[in-house]
Amino acid sequence: MLSLRNLSRAYRTDTVETTALDAIDLDIADGEFVAIMGPSGCGKSTLLNILGLLDSPTSGSYDFAGTEVAGLPEAKLSAIRKRHIGFIFQSFNLVDELSVRENVELALLYHGIPAAERRARVDRVMDKVGIAHRAAHRPSQLSGGQQQRVAVARAVVGEPKLILADEPTGNLDTAHGEEVMRMLQALNGEGATIIMVTHSPAHADYASRVVDMLDGRVLIERRQAA
Amino acid sequence: MWRNYLIVGIRSLAKNRTFALINILGLAIGMAACLLLLIFVRYELSYDAWMPDAERTFQLQQHYTKPTEGPPVLLQMSSYASGPAFKKEFPQVESWAYATRSAPILLRNGQPEPVKDFFLTDANLLDVLRLPMAKGSRAGALSQQNSLVLSEREAARLFPGEDPIGKTLTVVARGTSMDFKVTGVFRDIPRNSHLRIAVIARLNLHSYFAEQPDFLTHWGNQSGWVYARLRPGADADAIRAGFAAFEKRNIPDEDFGGTRTNQGDISDFALVNVRDVHLGAAQQGQITPGNDRRSILTFAVVGLLILGMACVNFVNLSTARASQRAREVALRKVLGADRRQLIVQFLAESTLVAAVAMLLALALVELLLPPVAAFLEADMRVAWFGIGGIALPALVLVLVVGIAGGLYPALVLSRFQPASVLKANKSAADAHGSGTLRNALVIGQFAVSIGLIICTVVIYAQTVYARSVDPGFRREGILQIDGIGRRQLYPQVETIIREVGKVAGVSAVGITSIGLATDNTSNMLVQLPNVAEPAQLGNYTVDYDFFPAMGVDLVAGRLLDRNRPLDSAERAFPPQPEAERAFAARGVNAVVNELAARRLGFTRPADAVGKQIRASLADQAYGLVPVTIVGVVRDARFRSVRTPLEPTLFTNRTVGSNWMIVRFAGRNPAAVRADVEAAWRRIAPDVPFEARFSDEIMGELYAAEDARARIFAGFALLAVIVGCLGLFGLATFTAERRTKEIGIRKVLGARTQDIVRLLVWQFSRPVLVANLLAWPIAWWLMRDWLNGFDARIALGPAPFVAAGLLALLIAVATIGGHALRVARANPIHALRYE
Repeated sequence: MLSLRNLSRAYRTDTVETTALDAIDLDIADGEFVAIMGPSGCGKSTLLNILGLLDSPTSGSYDFAGTEVAGLPEAKLSAIRKRHIGFIFQSFNLVDELSVRENVELALLYHGIPAAERRARVDRVMDKVGIAHRAAHRPSQLSGGQQQRVAVARAVVGEPKLILADEPTGNLDTAHGEEVMRMLQALNGEGATIIMVTHSPAHADYASRVVDMLDGRVLIERRQAA
Repeated sequence: MWRNYLIVGIRSLAKNRTFALINILGLAIGMAACLLLLIFVRYELSYDAWMPDAERTFQLQQHYTKPTEGPPVLLQMSSYASGPAFKKEFPQVESWAYATRSAPILLRNGQPEPVKDFFLTDANLLDVLRLPMAKGSRAGALSQQNSLVLSEREAARLFPGEDPIGKTLTVVARGTSMDFKVTGVFRDIPRNSHLRIAVIARLNLHSYFAEQPDFLTHWGNQSGWVYARLRPGADADAIRAGFAAFEKRNIPDEDFGGTRTNQGDISDFALVNVRDVHLGAAQQGQITPGNDRRSILTFAVVGLLILGMACVNFVNLSTARASQRAREVALRKVLGADRRQLIVQFLAESTLVAAVAMLLALALVELLLPPVAAFLEADMRVAWFGIGGIALPALVLVLVVGIAGGLYPALVLSRFQPASVLKANKSAADAHGSGTLRNALVIGQFAVSIGLIICTVVIYAQTVYARSVDPGFRREGILQIDGIGRRQLYPQVETIIREVGKVAGVSAVGITSIGLATDNTSNMLVQLPNVAEPAQLGNYTVDYDFFPAMGVDLVAGRLLDRNRPLDSAERAFPPQPEAERAFAARGVNAVVNELAARRLGFTRPADAVGKQIRASLADQAYGLVPVTIVGVVRDARFRSVRTPLEPTLFTNRTVGSNWMIVRFAGRNPAAVRADVEAAWRRIAPDVPFEARFSDEIMGELYAAEDARARIFAGFALLAVIVGCLGLFGLATFTAERRTKEIGIRKVLGARTQDIVRLLVWQFSRPVLVANLLAWPIAWWLMRDWLNGFDARIALGPAPFVAAGLLALLIAVATIGGHALRVARANPIHALRYE
């Protein structure tokens, strides 16, 4: 599904240059569930941003589903992102001014889907993650676990091929964390490719492959039984 | 999608109430100011457009563009003589009529009463000025001599509950009583007209002015208005192009002490459409006070400035708190929104705010227009639809403000990079948008506020100065009575003066042809010995007691004396050839004012005493009259400070002097007035008593200036409010943003006053810089404005410093309280935030 070759990302300020990613080679196949681990500052989030087309590499190549996307203009990246990628964040990133339903629907607004179909799909996905009874509530009225379920619903409602999760359980207690992980596992079972950044070895165990990073490089890749 | 934008927009406003309130209130004030000014400007431009066939109706004006002395005099009036020549010369003219204003006495049930806005004509004026009729036919009403038409209001006043058509009105003018038959009633002339007419009477002007043939034949005698109706499709410019030749062919030469003069050499004609009279270049000799395009433009600019300031608030506050929207923007981008969609979203939001503000603005306009209209004595109303309606401008304003206020924030907000904003645990980015731009905008806002405050202070100071400047005479304790020059009073003038002089409290009674704030001008040319060019002096008549009565001091020589025969210029009226010839031969003594002495070339007033000049005091036929200057009096300013002081020659004559000046002291003015009136009524029961105190007259003289000053002050206040709203919002936001910094400073030992000083100083700097911008511009504008006054205040540093300090004070007061609250807060709360 995606393949990185010799990919680097450097940040420059006036005086220093920091290499966040250093000549990364990585291939991820359709239907994989990959966990990326490593200490703070090792480049996990940068990698995820580049994979999610939110950031561009300084050099190297990034092949996304057969298209070379490194160096594509913002508008093209935006179009690919919209069609193929769903995001889940550690801090949920829900829009405070919108209700649960409206937050989930937001992901479909930019797809040009008719209102009736949007409604049906939002209902379906809210049902699936178990927050249909909270549809009219605002994010501030929900628990952390419920908020993350809304975020998951929003990530999957567009039926993306790739779901990127940046420490999706980082702000949750153990029970809610497990709940979210099972949800991701189920989505993976339905065919979605998932790439997740996590600090938790227990949650990394849900993945079929673990990529360990250090100082901007891939240290080792471990395949594990599902 | 739009529903989503709307929901987010409304909820985001609801969440930030201060922000929403400041924006909506500021914009509403700006929009209301704009709409009010739009209504006002449209009103000013609507003058006489209501008149049927206005596009073919013109006023012929005579402009003294190259007078021998002093500034140009642009009259709306024209000489009677110009009318027939104009018609004869230009075939494009379909019809013309002359109208002159008169103040006759109307006899009703045997009681005399003055009539205002009474016009005399000798043609069918209604055929030229096509006033809509309520009764009678326009073609027929003034077709006969001694017919008369009334306005609806005048008809209702004179004939309450009756049909006025066919009724007879007796009018006393020039000592003669005349009967007129009412033949029509025209609809009341709207306020937006340069015309103000209550009565039009048609008579034979040639016989009416038989004693003053000059009145109708001399091209330099402008005492009325010439109107012309052009043929359909006629080109007014073609007529204007022919004026030079017209003047050459028609204006006769005159002989002035052997020098050839011609009115055409010093004056030009102008053909002005009736719709352009009100705002035209010529604003002297008008029927109603006009306005000038510049002051209207000024008001329009001020309105736009206030709106601009409100838009600046919007831009500043939106970009300042952009960080609060950063996450939403990033998220929308992650979910596939492109930049265009986000820009549209934020523009839609700003338009929503503008629309809400507009609702408030429209309510304000409905509320404020009636008092503003009453204040300006303008007939302005809120019309919603159609031409002149405010619905369309309001809509346009919402869109313009929405885009002007929303575009820059939209560009800033939509530029956020999601990757940097959405990093875990970092929900907000730093304040985006350029802080430099925000500072520049705040400086601009305060520069406008300071500039308007300076202008207000200067205008106000000048207004006060105009009222209080030493006018050269003693202003208090004068009662001025109108109409002593009426023909039927000629035999009784002496008796009236004597009897009024006996009233308790009255110390002097004088007669004059130049009273307080009177609008007559009388000029003549004088010839100095050994000087080729004649000089122009004001020519006014007074009696022996005028100077003491008016309180004008003697500077050199002596006043006119009733015991010296040569001091009197008294002759019979109407003029008799024998007497005039004798007068011209013997000459006369006169008093001049200081300015006249200077104009005549004397550096010291005393130098003028005893000198002889020759002046056109009698008809041309008798030649120039030798005049000996026996005294010089102080320059006295009887008219508005806008009007240049006139170099004046005073001769002694009561005939034709229309005003009586009564000086009193030591008694209740109302009681003096009552006794004077009683004396008047005993002697002249058939002439109405019209008297006003000097302070009333002066009040009216400056009423328009006062109104303008107050309106300006009102708009300056609005600008200051809008500016302060913005500053307050920005201070609120900055304090919020710097909460953590303030917490750290406090933990490290900063005292409350240190923090307050920090915040206050941050916001005082732009105000101080704004002064540097505002001062030179305001100085330049005000110097120009003050130049319009003959007597004016000096433009010192005081208004500038005062305005700067005031703005600073307002700014400090606006943010001080806020800064204090923030500074007093427990730093623990601030630091726990992170």
